[in-house]
Amino acid sequence: MKKLILIALSVITLSTLEVIGQCNSESLSNLCIPKLSTGFNFLKSYKIEKGGKDYVEYSYVFTKGTQYMINICAGAPPTDGIVVSLYDSNRNKVASSKVNGQFIAAIAYPCNTTGIYYIQYTFDGSTAYCGGSALGFKR
Amino acid sequence: MAMRIIIIGVMLALFTACGPGKKSDEQVFLEGLDSTKAEGPSISEGVIGDILQRIPSPLEISVLLKESGKKYDVTYLNSPDNISKYNSNYKKALNLGVYGTDLGYTNIYEQNMDGVKYMGSIKSLADGLNIGQFFDIETIGRLATNSKNLDSLLLITTQNFNSINHYLQTQNRSNLSVLFLTGGWLEALHIVCEVAVANPSNKELQETVGEQKIILENIMLLLSFYKDSDPNMAALLVDIEELKKIYDKVKVTYTYKESTFEIVDGVMVIKDNSSSTIEISLDDVNNIKSIATSIRNKVIS
Repeated sequence: MKKLILIALSVITLSTLEVIGQCNSESLSNLCIPKLSTGFNFLKSYKIEKGGKDYVEYSYVFTKGTQYMINICAGAPPTDGIVVSLYDSNRNKVASSKVNGQFIAAIAYPCNTTGIYYIQYTFDGSTAYCGGSALGFKR
Repeated sequence: MAMRIIIIGVMLALFTACGPGKKSDEQVFLEGLDSTKAEGPSISEGVIGDILQRIPSPLEISVLLKESGKKYDVTYLNSPDNISKYNSNYKKALNLGVYGTDLGYTNIYEQNMDGVKYMGSIKSLADGLNIGQFFDIETIGRLATNSKNLDSLLLITTQNFNSINHYLQTQNRSNLSVLFLTGGWLEALHIVCEVAVANPSNKELQETVGEQKIILENIMLLLSFYKDSDPNMAALLVDIEELKKIYDKVKVTYTYKESTFEIVDGVMVIKDNSSSTIEISLDDVNNIKSIATSIRNKVIS
């Protein structure tokens, strides 16, 4: 009987831990949308969850003359070690949100060149490897 | 007592196991209704999804037109009354995109009376494709009654369309997403061409027409994945290849220079030191307009 109780308690504990450990990147990305600065129109929300790769990457065609904003939301502010880097279509680095050891939660990019840009999220000392992000634009 | 603990424990474990991965009855029912799955693209859905999510929102073009002082013109748009013509899933998906662009245009110009008509047509097309549940027409209709709600209106409509695209991709119906985005892009191209031709001295608008070359290439790539499995998409690709012939004359040059930045109120503001030029003549714009209008007429008729 003791064994049965132990098994039941183990199942409860494990399933609870699983729930706690789940990454709710969707709610974090939704949290990011109203944090876009005034004047920016929402375009996309991105989930940031560590998978098989060391990074999470999305792409979007940015347009010359348009300013874009990308922000990061995570359980532990400001970004829980999540860094967003922006690369142009030739994979030249345009921006990175980690500067002098400081994690910046939002970058604004006034685009001079229309093309595909790669929005890459990496983890630098992250604890949860979980976050969300939103992309907005204004003219 | 011990037995009660075990029973409660097992029930709790089973309950917590019913997470997001388990489909609700509603989902199962909706999936059962769906008979519009593609035969299959020639590449993985993941790759298609990656390309789909980079296609820019047509809203960006509407904002450009409004910000550059161009007046609202409903004659550029597809009539919401044309909906009765769209009986196949192919036409429904394409025109869902067309109407999505038109709705964004009416919203940006705060033409709510026109917007309401497009909402009705969008809802009907979405219902016809079994994705109407993602279009919150009640909330959108309520927000549209007051111009102070513009930001919320744009947010909700963008979120609804993003949800539709996401859902279609998770259901292996990316073919409909491709058509939806193609229709939306064609409509935006048609509108910006009309305005550019009407304002021949406006170089910025001509450049915007030229910049569409990048999106055209991605749309063609997406359609090419279905050309062997879907005759309608293959025919659309042939039409769009005509557009590509004109766009081949448009030259885009790019000079990379490392960017700089400053931190302003906690935001990293990048200074883009790279530059680009777009070589496009007014003749090219006229030719692009002519072919784009011809393709669009096929789509909306």
